[in-house]
Amino acid sequence: MNAAIIPTGAEILAGTVLDTSSAYIMQKLIKYFPDCIVTKLCPAADVQDIIINKIDICVKSNPDLIIITGGSGGGHRYSSSLACDYTHSALSEYLDKYNASEIYGKNGHLWCRLVCGFKNDCLVINLPGPYAEATAAFDAFLEAFDMNEIDIVKINNQMINAVYSKYPVSEVL
Amino acid sequence: MDKVNYNGQKIIAFADKTILKISNVSIKGLNTKELENSLMEKLNTIVRIIGVTGENIEMDIYNLSPEDVLKDAHGIIKAVSLTEGIKAENVMDLSAEKAVQVDIDNIDIVKNISCARERWQSYERSNNTDRS
Repeated sequence: MNAAIIPTGAEILAGTVLDTSSAYIMQKLIKYFPDCIVTKLCPAADVQDIIINKIDICVKSNPDLIIITGGSGGGHRYSSSLACDYTHSALSEYLDKYNASEIYGKNGHLWCRLVCGFKNDCLVINLPGPYAEATAAFDAFLEAFDMNEIDIVKINNQMINAVYSKYPVSEVL
Repeated sequence: MDKVNYNGQKIIAFADKTILKISNVSIKGLNTKELENSLMEKLNTIVRIIGVTGENIEMDIYNLSPEDVLKDAHGIIKAVSLTEGIKAENVMDLSAEKAVQVDIDNIDIVKNISCARERWQSYERSNNTDRS
């Protein structure tokens, strides 16, 4: 297993906020795949083209798995003081094949969109920015992931349900 | 290669959300998990930090009204002040407001990947209504 972690967000890039999710992901990968090589890349700014470019460069180094953190919600679209959230839309544009699931608040806001898919043979997933959601989603990924038979629909479903379980209540359409 | 995409789950979470903004602080190396835990203990509800700059923090507080959040403004200021990575150099500003409502029954959440609010605004424009 050869995995890469790409954090996103200006606040991570500037060190305003500690990147605790990458440390968690790395620790879990080492636990589940003791022989894995894990690389954490320099954080990407919240710009769709920059994110796509960063993933594309990473894919060319032939990792089995790329994990991107942050940028999974509606971001600035609801609040002018928030950054843009473009990770999910970057993945939709970039991946060859993917499954995407969404959580909306009852106020209509997009709270979280998770994408799981392939670029060539590389599996790519994204995780939400908040630590509690990111760790829940990544734990669900590890439970659903089978290296011999990768089922992106199953992985994506389990991940979105794990994030959903972190919100206070409930109804599935 | 042709692009293949599957529509996964569309979930609506029935929870109310208040957005709390804290400004006039200096932030460097903030552990958001630590601040969230501290505020969750104080407010007894789920708190998620969703935006941080060098001077401001924005967070979602679930199932509490803005009035209820600000009832314990002193406790919030204390919790924020005691968190590593945050310095309050002047008087800290707190503001809380309910998230803008978007009528999800009137927007198509399947076709388009962009956010619901944008689709709702597009719907309003196309119907020449003013419900924002």
